[in-house]
Amino acid sequence: MTREQIRKAEGAAALTLSTLSALLGLFWLVFILGDVLVQGLQALTPTLFLNDPAPAGAEGGGLRHAFVGQLLITFFASLIGVPVGVLGGTFLAEYARGRRIARIISILSDIVVSVPSIVIGTFVYAVLVKPVGHFNGWAGAVALAIIMIPVVLRTTEDMLSLVPWELREAAFALGAPYYKVIIQVVYRGAATGILTGILLSIARVAGETAPLLFTSFNNSFFSVDMSHPIASLTATIFQYATGPYKTWHAQAWAASFVITVFILLLTILGRLIIRWRYK
Amino acid sequence: MAETAEITVNTLNFYYSGTIHALKNISLPVYKHSVTALIGPSGCGKTTLLRCFNRMHDLYPNNRYEGEILLGKENILDNATDLITLRSRIGMVFQKPTPFPMSIFDNIAYGLKLKGITNRAVQSGRVEKALHDAHLWAEVKDKLKSSAYELSGGQQQRLVIARALAVDPEILLFDEPTSALDPLSTAKIEELIELLRKQITIIIVTHNMQQAARISDWTGFLMLGELIEFDRTDKIFTTPSQKLTEDYVTGRFG
Repeated sequence: MTREQIRKAEGAAALTLSTLSALLGLFWLVFILGDVLVQGLQALTPTLFLNDPAPAGAEGGGLRHAFVGQLLITFFASLIGVPVGVLGGTFLAEYARGRRIARIISILSDIVVSVPSIVIGTFVYAVLVKPVGHFNGWAGAVALAIIMIPVVLRTTEDMLSLVPWELREAAFALGAPYYKVIIQVVYRGAATGILTGILLSIARVAGETAPLLFTSFNNSFFSVDMSHPIASLTATIFQYATGPYKTWHAQAWAASFVITVFILLLTILGRLIIRWRYK
Repeated sequence: MAETAEITVNTLNFYYSGTIHALKNISLPVYKHSVTALIGPSGCGKTTLLRCFNRMHDLYPNNRYEGEILLGKENILDNATDLITLRSRIGMVFQKPTPFPMSIFDNIAYGLKLKGITNRAVQSGRVEKALHDAHLWAEVKDKLKSSAYELSGGQQQRLVIARALAVDPEILLFDEPTSALDPLSTAKIEELIELLRKQITIIIVTHNMQQAARISDWTGFLMLGELIEFDRTDKIFTTPSQKLTEDYVTGRFG
């Protein structure tokens, strides 16, 4: 073979291999999403959202308790995680910019991002469940908040760093104190990026199961009491999918569908915001 | 004619990060309602000197000033100087246009709000006046609510000048304000500086010697952190007393 033929053969081989890999990945992705879609849509009824569970095995129950519990846990997790993350990221990008402490915290939060979430669950179990004596919703919210914080913190730091330094100098040159420069100029410049990071971090924790099993546990009954075990969608999916009843399986599918769509919508919203901003 | 010095720089020394001696024994007057140009090769310290006047160097750690810069009777290098007040008296326009991510109106009103002027009617009046003064009013009067990023580079630079003018500064510092602009926009900014000098004192750093010759009354030539020569602009460009100045303005180096 001539050199050109070898080059073309190599190119063709690389193209084939990468196309096959892409197709393989895509196949499973479509398979999973398609399965969740088909199976989930079948069981998706208004009663799923409106009713609490029927007695085990009986028809007509819903998952209202799990939807409400999930929303409560996610809401309180965001209430803790978002401000801490945004303010922490602000500290790193503004007040501690270029200092060693900022680098250390950045690296540490990158590590925490990749720590398995079950480890965070056991940690919160030791701190907020064991001393209290029983599982509780607050512990679940804190566990999810701990998972959110490094994500929000790093996104905020990165987004603030993207705001040109000259913009801050220009505000300083008008006689603005630093906190006003940050709030009125820098946050405005980075707002969409930070918002996207927040949405994606909520999407990230909304699908967590492992840390909740150790903290908020689960509850078969409707409850809004965060100081006691509280139902969540993911833990309920785990319980129902591994349970013995056909109706449970169907509802687990429906719940999987709903949570997938929820995360999908958050992700799409995040992307739309980015596109709208950088158009 | 008799000139009154608005600012007097006396044996100013400046050190970056505590060690780099960037300005050496600089002394010069800045005359009221005149345009003073600072010229010199890259790295000569002209921007460093400019940024001493509004203490921009204080934003970074370990920078140190020695000597004095008198604004009236007050030494602005004094530790007791309130930087927020100082910076509202001495405005600055940067090389690249720096509009804030907000509407045209809010950009101009920003400095007013910092000064505590929150009355909407007063703000509107001052914003309109500043835009007139910066010769931008006709171009933006129908879109004050749109984003400042929709303006062209030259318009953005005039917007930034309007923003600086809105707070009624006594002195405006220009750091190569036209080096990122096309010739037409440059001409507009130069016309503007020509008009502004009737009301305020202007110090401009420029790489463009024709620009310095065109718009300034006084010129300081710096090299390696030293002020080689300071004199009337026509003198600097026709009969400088230093050989270095002559070599530089005639383009023999730099």
